[in-house]
Amino acid sequence: MMASTAVRDASSPVLLRVANLAKHYDRDPAIVDVSFSLVPGEVLGIVGPNGAGKTTLLETLAGLLAADSGTVVWQGQQLPPHRRKEALFYLPDGVRPYRDRFAADVISFFASVYRRSEGDVAATITCVGLAPALNKRVRALSKGYNRRLLLAVGLLTPHDVLLMDEPFDGFDLRQTRAIVQVVRDEAARGRTFVLAIHQLADAERVCDRFILLAGGQVRGIGTLAQLRAQTGSPGGSMEEIFLALT
Amino acid sequence: MRSPKPYAPHAPLHPLIAKELAEIASGLALWTMLLLVCPLVGFSFIQAVSLYGEASVAAQQSPVLATSLSPLDGILVPTFGAFYVAVTLLFPFVAIRALGQEKEAGALRLLVQLPYRSLTLVFAKLVAVLAAWSLASIPALSALAIWAVVGGHLAASETLNLLFGHLLYGLLVGAIALFAAAISDSSATAAIIALAVTIGSWVLDFTLAGHSGPSAWLAQLSLTQTLRSFEQGLFSTGLVLGIAAVICGLAALASVWLRPGTLPQVKLVRSVPCVLATVAVLAIASQVGKSVDVAEDRRNSFAPADQQVLATLRLPLVVTVNLVPEDPRYVDLQRNVLAKLERAMPNVSVVLASRGRDFADKSPDNSYGEIEYDYGNRSDMSRSTSPREILPLLYALASARPPTSSSGTDYPGYPLIASADVAWLWFLGGLPLLIALGWLWSLRPPSIPASFSEGGLS
Repeated sequence: MMASTAVRDASSPVLLRVANLAKHYDRDPAIVDVSFSLVPGEVLGIVGPNGAGKTTLLETLAGLLAADSGTVVWQGQQLPPHRRKEALFYLPDGVRPYRDRFAADVISFFASVYRRSEGDVAATITCVGLAPALNKRVRALSKGYNRRLLLAVGLLTPHDVLLMDEPFDGFDLRQTRAIVQVVRDEAARGRTFVLAIHQLADAERVCDRFILLAGGQVRGIGTLAQLRAQTGSPGGSMEEIFLALT
Repeated sequence: MRSPKPYAPHAPLHPLIAKELAEIASGLALWTMLLLVCPLVGFSFIQAVSLYGEASVAAQQSPVLATSLSPLDGILVPTFGAFYVAVTLLFPFVAIRALGQEKEAGALRLLVQLPYRSLTLVFAKLVAVLAAWSLASIPALSALAIWAVVGGHLAASETLNLLFGHLLYGLLVGAIALFAAAISDSSATAAIIALAVTIGSWVLDFTLAGHSGPSAWLAQLSLTQTLRSFEQGLFSTGLVLGIAAVICGLAALASVWLRPGTLPQVKLVRSVPCVLATVAVLAIASQVGKSVDVAEDRRNSFAPADQQVLATLRLPLVVTVNLVPEDPRYVDLQRNVLAKLERAMPNVSVVLASRGRDFADKSPDNSYGEIEYDYGNRSDMSRSTSPREILPLLYALASARPPTSSSGTDYPGYPLIASADVAWLWFLGGLPLLIALGWLWSLRPPSIPASFSEGGLS
């Protein structure tokens, strides 16, 4: 589904503003002066090839990696790294939380921490289609069900902004479309998403706006229409735009 | 906003603790340790009962010999000694798992985003470590129960004191393991660090035992020293305070090093106050001399009548000892007289006049072996290490009236000729079976509400 219906106009209040975020590993720049802003209810895609700096950007933003420089401002107030968890929740890629426990245990734990009702939990499980895997151990879950588990964990949090690294990795086309719908529905309810995606087609399906990242640098920011205009290719696909800008 | 509730800075503690308990119980490390502790403790206990029985044969003919038969030395210390070995060598693996697996699986990155302080996260893990220690102590506790069943005597105060000492030791090892896991990238590295500390302590203890000066001070840092007082039936407030300070300090350091996203330099700077606070409390603890003799035979105290008289001697007593610390006479004097005097009298100081001298030094020194007692403006000298000779000397120095009698308070001793061989059935059969059942119980799937299983994506 194209996300244009959910695109917020320029007058929407800025929820989060990131300015000049930079991170180096030894002498290699991982992200260089990344700046962008988020408005409530939008789905922002960080798009780029492997090694572009997507994960580093998300982890630095979440405060799980120490940034070399840059600021994050939340609703007009500076948000230091140790307080980022008050506003943002990050779902990393490749994590199997509590491998020896059952999926239901993991869900129950996060639901209890955030004092979610049984109804909320049931709705979340239904929403991501996790029910068949609840009585399986996390280590025995397929990649797709592990993804659903992480997504359910994210949806159970009360945070206004969810950062997700490769949320569609491990899903087939049908499952991806279903999860895209879940994300879009959540966004329509006001939750904001920042998704790091390397599959351009997936990004095009779900995101309102895009940050094109390559070599740690931002090569373009905007909606698909804005990026098309920027590259001068009115009917260009995300793939063509990406190739033109990077 | 979609969220029905805003972000709350404080989340309930019980889900976190329940999660940590379930996590530690779901790992094989705990159950493996429990299974290994059974024969280890069982062998020590059965052997101890057998030796105690052999000693009791002669003691039953002689009341004097019987007074030397204390279950604390004969049964409790050897049985819990095996438990101590298990805690030293195996428990770090159990405790490291409480944090190491989360680090390796990446779950820590989710955990630190929850609305808990880092210190709360470490506290919850320490609670789980405590629970694991409690489970691991079941074989040793069951040995005590068997001892009671076969007619053995257990004095509540010394038994509880020893248990408390082992509890502190277990928490100390757990805190070391958690700190090692916090600073390491992998569980394997954490295990190496933790074992280097625990086994290194043994090495320190063995190589520096009986030395004086800095070596003696270094030997005091050994982890095994933490148990020694408890094994002697002493409850030392300073020692308990010191161990508690180290446990809290390690927990605080673990919380500093737990959180990703902080530069190592910043973590180092934040560690400094934790280390300084721990050292400060340790310094205070070393000055707290208050200790209570909880041994039923009151081996750490003079007879109550003597204790009463000595407590009234308020002037400073200075004992100048012309012995090197390695000399067995000094060890005797320290155990039989000096340590007891320090607990009984309000103001006692001991001066080692032979400090720096080597025990192997054969150069003639006529004063070597002399022990001088200065009380008020009077002094006397003795070479004895026995309280029978030293106490009258002190009473004379202080012009105090010696107590007339200490009858009615003598320790009778508890000889018992018994065999605990049948306990093998428990330690190699019943208890391992119960542990296996407990492990199977921990594997059971959770009960899932029917509402969770309805509908969803395909």
